[in-house]
Amino acid sequence: MSRDQRSRRLTGEAARSLTLSTEPWLSCEDCFRLLDGYVEALLSDADRSRAMAVHLAGCAACAEEAQSLLLFVAGQDGTDPAPALRRLRAADSQ
Amino acid sequence: MTALRGRQAAAPVAPAAPVPADPPDWVAALTGEGPEHDQALRRLHGLMLAAARHQVNRMRGLLPWASHTLLDELAHDSADDAVTTLLAKLGTFEGRSRFTTWAYKFAIFQAATEVRRRAWASREVSLDDVELRADTSAGPEQHAEAADLAGAVAQGMRAALTAYQRKIAVALLVDQVPIDVLAERLGTTRGALYKTLHEIRGRLRTHLTATGHLAPPSTTRDAR
Repeated sequence: MSRDQRSRRLTGEAARSLTLSTEPWLSCEDCFRLLDGYVEALLSDADRSRAMAVHLAGCAACAEEAQSLLLFVAGQDGTDPAPALRRLRAADSQ
Repeated sequence: MTALRGRQAAAPVAPAAPVPADPPDWVAALTGEGPEHDQALRRLHGLMLAAARHQVNRMRGLLPWASHTLLDELAHDSADDAVTTLLAKLGTFEGRSRFTTWAYKFAIFQAATEVRRRAWASREVSLDDVELRADTSAGPEQHAEAADLAGAVAQGMRAALTAYQRKIAVALLVDQVPIDVLAERLGTTRGALYKTLHEIRGRLRTHLTATGHLAPPSTTRDAR
């Protein structure tokens, strides 16, 4: 096996993700259970769970589904998703 | 708005049929019998198909070879599976959101999972215990800090993680294998893999804090 096959480049972005603090702990299952309420809270700018924000920052699959649900619900309601998207991204980057 | 939404969602399922209105009580309608149940189920399927199509459309770049017909079949299959899952979990709806928002997440989850699975269906997932090297190709000075962290993380992974944890970390965050795809290949669940990733991050943070590469944790905030 060649050196290239046995080695990988670790980017700064990957390093930051590997060292992300994912406390307080929240499982993917609980994230899914809470997702609909969290998205509606983002859309109405109501109080939101910090554990959800932390989980979405650390789990790309759940984050994709959260953003998608937000956009879909906003589209169905005929509302502008931009403010809620900003709130979602701000929470992710904390 | 509701009527327009219904036409868009239900038309592909039964183009000639009128779109049923949302029932006043979704759970009662879906658990009941008769015409009200049938109408609620048809309305639900239409909404789930719209949500599944939305998700497939968002991720269609992962399937550049897929025809429009195949993508629509994928959306239909996802909507069907999502309705089945939802009906089995109907008793868990707690009313913390609108019923429709609660329902849409099942379709979005199912469609996203299926797109990722198909996108990786013919791709090998390597689980070798590889050597990691900090990527120093970025060049500009502002990236020096990131490169330093990458070097420390690469060393920390050897020092603080088990071989299994290193393989999972590399697959998920270096090779970018989707977590549900990796879970399926390993015969485990997305939740179990995320738990492993959480432990990996904790170990690395502890190690890098001890070596002075990360600041000690500050005050904790409540989880709610």
